[in-house]
Amino acid sequence: MLQKGQLWETKPLEYYAKAKELRAKWEKNAENKEIVLGQGNTSFVVDWQQAFPAIMVMEDNPRGSTIAAKNLPEARRFRLASESRGWGREICGYHGVLWGQQFIGYQVDGSPFPERKFVVPIPATCECHTKRGEQCKDFSPVPRWSGDQCVYLGPYDQERDKAMLDHRAWCSWKIINDIERIFGQQFNDEKMKELIKISRAVKPIREEIFKLMTHIPAPLSVKELYSTYVLGGLVKIEMNELLDFWRSVRDEVKWRTENNIAAVGTERYRWMEAHPPAYYFLKYYRYMEKYGAVCIGSQYTNYTFAQLERKPDGSIGDRDYTFVDEYMTPIPQPDGSIHEKVLYHPTFSPEMRIDTREDEIRYLDGASARGSVQHFKQDEIYRPYALNEFADIYKVNGAIMPLHRSGVNCTLTRKEQAMRLRKAGVSVMHYELNQGGDNTDLDEKRMLEQLDQWMESQGLRKLED
Amino acid sequence: MNFKQLAENRHEYAKAWKARTGGQVLGYYDPYFPEELAYAAGMLPVRILARHEPDDVSTKWIYASCYPVRDYVNQFFNGRYGYLDGIVDTGGCEWVYNAFEVAMNTTPSLKTHYIFIPRYPNAPTSPGLVVSELKTMKKVFEEWTGREITDESLDHAIEVYNKNRLLLMRISELRRAYETPLFGSEAMQMLLADQVMDKAEMNAILESFLAELQERPPREDRVRLMIIGSETWDAELEELVESLGANVVIDELDNGTSYFWNTIYEQKDRLLAIALRYLGRPHSALRDNNWRRRSQHVFELAEDYMADGVLIVKQIYCVIHGTDNYAMWKLLRERNIPYHFFERDTSLPEDETRQRLESFINMLKPGLVRLRGWHEPLVI
Ligand code: SF4
Ligand code: SF4
Repeated sequence: MLQKGQLWETKPLEYYAKAKELRAKWEKNAENKEIVLGQGNTSFVVDWQQAFPAIMVMEDNPRGSTIAAKNLPEARRFRLASESRGWGREICGYHGVLWGQQFIGYQVDGSPFPERKFVVPIPATCECHTKRGEQCKDFSPVPRWSGDQCVYLGPYDQERDKAMLDHRAWCSWKIINDIERIFGQQFNDEKMKELIKISRAVKPIREEIFKLMTHIPAPLSVKELYSTYVLGGLVKIEMNELLDFWRSVRDEVKWRTENNIAAVGTERYRWMEAHPPAYYFLKYYRYMEKYGAVCIGSQYTNYTFAQLERKPDGSIGDRDYTFVDEYMTPIPQPDGSIHEKVLYHPTFSPEMRIDTREDEIRYLDGASARGSVQHFKQDEIYRPYALNEFADIYKVNGAIMPLHRSGVNCTLTRKEQAMRLRKAGVSVMHYELNQGGDNTDLDEKRMLEQLDQWMESQGLRKLED
Repeated sequence: MNFKQLAENRHEYAKAWKARTGGQVLGYYDPYFPEELAYAAGMLPVRILARHEPDDVSTKWIYASCYPVRDYVNQFFNGRYGYLDGIVDTGGCEWVYNAFEVAMNTTPSLKTHYIFIPRYPNAPTSPGLVVSELKTMKKVFEEWTGREITDESLDHAIEVYNKNRLLLMRISELRRAYETPLFGSEAMQMLLADQVMDKAEMNAILESFLAELQERPPREDRVRLMIIGSETWDAELEELVESLGANVVIDELDNGTSYFWNTIYEQKDRLLAIALRYLGRPHSALRDNNWRRRSQHVFELAEDYMADGVLIVKQIYCVIHGTDNYAMWKLLRERNIPYHFFERDTSLPEDETRQRLESFINMLKPGLVRLRGWHEPLVI
């Protein structure tokens, strides 16, 4: 039976059960006593930890957000444990929650906190990333490695890029080499080559899904994206299983698109977000559906894997990148414009030969030192404009942009982005909270009222009214 | 010497310098900015300093940053820094990047450059990376000024800057004495003035100040404090400490002693020499990764300067020092060094801070034992 205001057919997702199963398996793995558990993350390109016999690294974000979503009082207690040891309130909530467990000694389910034996970096421009894992190492003297998210502004610069890539490669090499030495585990280069091969197969599949997300009606909403896109990114999965999983997601999403099966049957308004939501108050997504409003994601979910752009003829397609085949030997363009206009793909060409460990590491670190930073936009001021392009590509009417009081990168330039979006005709609503893993400053009632006002100011009414 | 006045009149000074020399004034935010290159290009590098002022602009542009960064934005829009020809960001704290980016996006006439200084300064690849960045910046500065940066001009800049660091170090050594002739407020004002003035001119001032200090009678002995935490832009806290009968004898602030703590060892490859100096300076909290160096440096300063207690002063919303707190608290506890932690913004709530400091200082007093009477007090 059609619900009031329903415009599109809808259907529960089939891959959902598998996503849950994979996630549970990842969490369970951390309890495996044979495994040396570390803090941090491996590359988003290739999950190199799988080339070690028994290494597992765990990232703060998925753990912190899950705890905040499932058990707010405990999340609060954990954060307090961190704060009372000096960990500032302005630090990304995920971290406060996770490391509070370390101080108290138990996890949210009451089991002992598995102490991390080492810390690997997940370099990003955000200070909370750079300093991530410090607390873990300050707590007990485990090895910690560093890396750098390199940045420069303006067009691609071969010379600058080379020095940065060399630096990044050394940092990655040092981590892998030291883990072998310190934990007596052999890094299996053949397995690594296999992982690279599979990652090359996964990449276009993920890209396809995020291209399909431009379709009206949206085949998935951000709720589904959040439970899915972390798999293989922040939540590591055995690579073959990951490939099968993403294939099944792609097939299902493609089928939904071809048959106009919507995530939200009443879709009449599309909105975007920017960076993580209030994981402990995801109710607002459903609330917005009362208006027939669907969240199609954010650059955080969608742009992690797919880089799209509007072409001069008005169509939407893959961003025009040039691949490089070997490190720092870019393919010259027929018009000779390689240094000025061409945007280098953050990853290497799928044809690049991988023979040595250095090749493997270079592949991990990517072909362009700025990596994912550059894909937001090549112009000098990459972030404030990037969201305008995103809004255009995903055909949104409005944007909800949280203002976090803690963490850095998730709020950086947000005000300016909002100004630019408004100028482009996209209505923007801000709301304040501490962070996706920290509910301290979120006034839920006020937020819902604000949503009503915002929707009504755009001429929308609740469909049930 | 009235350093306070020099620091406060920084805008007038820069404008006068510009009128006098016809040179360009270059603003920078982060102490990792290799000033020598700008100086060698004939520019005046000045540190952009926060100053508490009514703010009716920044909230439109920026959210949840520390107050100094809001103030950068506010001052920028209010025209305080209208005389700057360019700004350089050094890839330090991201809130600073936000202030830089707002300036860049809203003022196309402003020359801007971003130099990447790794957050992992001790990798063997870091010097090569910084040299590559310096080569690019050198070209940029040459283009901006139309003036070649020669080996000779670099040597001159290195010499002037090294002399400056040496003078500051000599003055700092005087603070180790029990009856140091120097108050913390004066030392901080001196450092702030140093960061906004032509170093050659400042060196002459420092030389005469050093001579004056050596003639100054010792001050009475006081409770000796150290300040660590987010950088500062004035000496209000030091003045408050002094009004309570104590003295700040050392700090480990990014724009405090860390600004001059190490020097450039001249090499044939000038850019490499500069790179090694900046990477080798006492780690800022942001760049203190892997095995920490910052804790040991803080401890050594506390020990060498005989600090009776430490004030950890953090800017609200300063993620970096918020992260480092845990390590600092732990270190100070383990080594039985009393400390007091508090947060501030660009203003300092007078009554509240006074009460806190008074309690802390009173708590320290009964435990203080000086060796005076047993042997000569340490006089340097
Ligand atoms: S503030 Fe955002 S970018 Fe920074 S660590 Fe937290 S989630 Fe990541
Ligand atoms: S006080 Fe902290 S947050 Fe503010 S500019 Fe300095 S380092 Fe950045």
